[in-house]
Amino acid sequence: MDIVSPKGSISGVMLLAQFELKKILFSTRGLIAVIAFALVWLLILWYPVKEASVYLFSTEFKQFITALFGEDSVSELFTWQVPEMAIVWVAALYLFPLFSILVSADQFASDRARGTFRFLTLRTSRNTLFFGRFTGYLLIQALLLLLTLFATLLLVAYRDISAILPALGSSLFVFVNIMIVLLPYTALMAILSLYANSARQATIYAVLLLAGISIINNILDYYLPDLSSLLQWVAPGAQLSMMINTHGVSSLPIAAIPLVQAAVLLILGKTYMARIAL
Amino acid sequence: MSLISCHNVGKSYGHKRALDQVSFELEAGQAVALVGPNGAGKTTLFSLLCGYICPSQGEIHILGHHPGSKALLGKVAALPQDARLDPNLTIESQLVLFAQLQGFNKQAALVECERVLNLVDLNEIAKHKPLALSHGMSKRVSIAQALIGSPQLVLLDEPTAGLDPANAKAIRELVRNQSHQTTFVISSHNLDELEKLCDKVLYLDKGILNQSISIKDNQAAHYLTLTMQECDTEALMTQLSHWPQVNSIKSNQHNEFVIRYNLMQDFELENQLFKLFSSQGWTYRTLQRGRTLEDKLFSNE
Repeated sequence: MDIVSPKGSISGVMLLAQFELKKILFSTRGLIAVIAFALVWLLILWYPVKEASVYLFSTEFKQFITALFGEDSVSELFTWQVPEMAIVWVAALYLFPLFSILVSADQFASDRARGTFRFLTLRTSRNTLFFGRFTGYLLIQALLLLLTLFATLLLVAYRDISAILPALGSSLFVFVNIMIVLLPYTALMAILSLYANSARQATIYAVLLLAGISIINNILDYYLPDLSSLLQWVAPGAQLSMMINTHGVSSLPIAAIPLVQAAVLLILGKTYMARIAL
Repeated sequence: MSLISCHNVGKSYGHKRALDQVSFELEAGQAVALVGPNGAGKTTLFSLLCGYICPSQGEIHILGHHPGSKALLGKVAALPQDARLDPNLTIESQLVLFAQLQGFNKQAALVECERVLNLVDLNEIAKHKPLALSHGMSKRVSIAQALIGSPQLVLLDEPTAGLDPANAKAIRELVRNQSHQTTFVISSHNLDELEKLCDKVLYLDKGILNQSISIKDNQAAHYLTLTMQECDTEALMTQLSHWPQVNSIKSNQHNEFVIRYNLMQDFELENQLFKLFSSQGWTYRTLQRGRTLEDKLFSNE
């Protein structure tokens, strides 16, 4: 038999990531999850997004949104060339983090509880396994986001084929920004699913953690406003309300927040993975 | 360089001491048995050797490296206790992933998957999912995954537990056939099985390594283990204890006798025994050179 050497870190990460993607696309359980996701987005696309071209530029709607979020918070939203993309941007900004929590809740939990990790860690390093799974779940979310944007582009083309080019530019902006937003959520779920015994437990931990941070921050805001102004950036999604009113390159400085959060969470996760008993 | 070197290894879970000051050295070659009662620390020792957990004290080296280090990937494999494959994926897809992670390309990984499933006689279930398999089949698939890439060291935790006798025998044959390229460390409660497969035996009890013995030690020549079909136990023991060449005789189990004697030429003692059986009308079942593993481990001599 030929002597073989284990895969290097990068090729190992890519192999594990591809395997996770295949798991979703070629398993009944994964396909059911994709269909459920598609149905939710079908409703969003069919009602608010399809009608966006009509109501987004109506005076009444502008007044309503301005009154709800404030003049400075949504002014950029009305400057989008393709209104459907503006609605998808806002919806994706708040819905994709929720999907991320649900989709990435089983990065490690089931495999760890079942002992499947014991087969894997004799063939690849814990680091490769951690980053492989993380990358795999990012690929899954990228695929879901691409499907959403493709469906939106079809709607835009159906309404006005000449709007397709600016819509493509906006899609690229939405894709890059939403993927950056999802990084800390996916990294957080990687840690929680390492700790939890099941995907459901990891999801519960995520809800408790995010709600807990929000409550603590509100209390601190009252008693220690200086500390609160610093801690408000700790939780994933802290920048979401600021991102609504951005378009194009103006969103990039804000992207630093989720990137730093993701880096910190990934270092924590990598350290935890190295120490955890399997 | 030793295959496995453990020096004063200890492992605690909270206040419970699972392993205490365990030290031993193992060389590559003949299979090694790990024996001990339930809760003795066998699975903990296996988990430490595989790098699943870290020792609380002491040092472990496998082929000169710490367990779980990159240098050991693909060189050490295991059948871990209670570990199961992903129930949502086919056996083949999982074994091919394992082989690819070990460095096989896609095509070679498929061939390797077929090879190891053939070794456990389960080639027909490659496209099945783990939930479609019986307990015994799952165990054999788990053994198959441990053989991917012919690793230098394979740790098998209770490999034949739950298998029917025919499949248990097949696994023993498999271990024997692979022993020329792989060193197996086998944990089992089946002492007869270990006696057939292993040379060295490590006996753990309450987390302490009580004994490290060789089955083929030079003491073997001074003992005979006699199992009778039918005899008068007291008469047999009385008669033998009066023979000058017999140093001692004891019976630990019904109709089983361990005779310690002075080594003689031309199987003289054996011939005398057969003559005695013939004169008394007794029938024997087995006459074995040396002591059984059970007797070595649990008798006070």
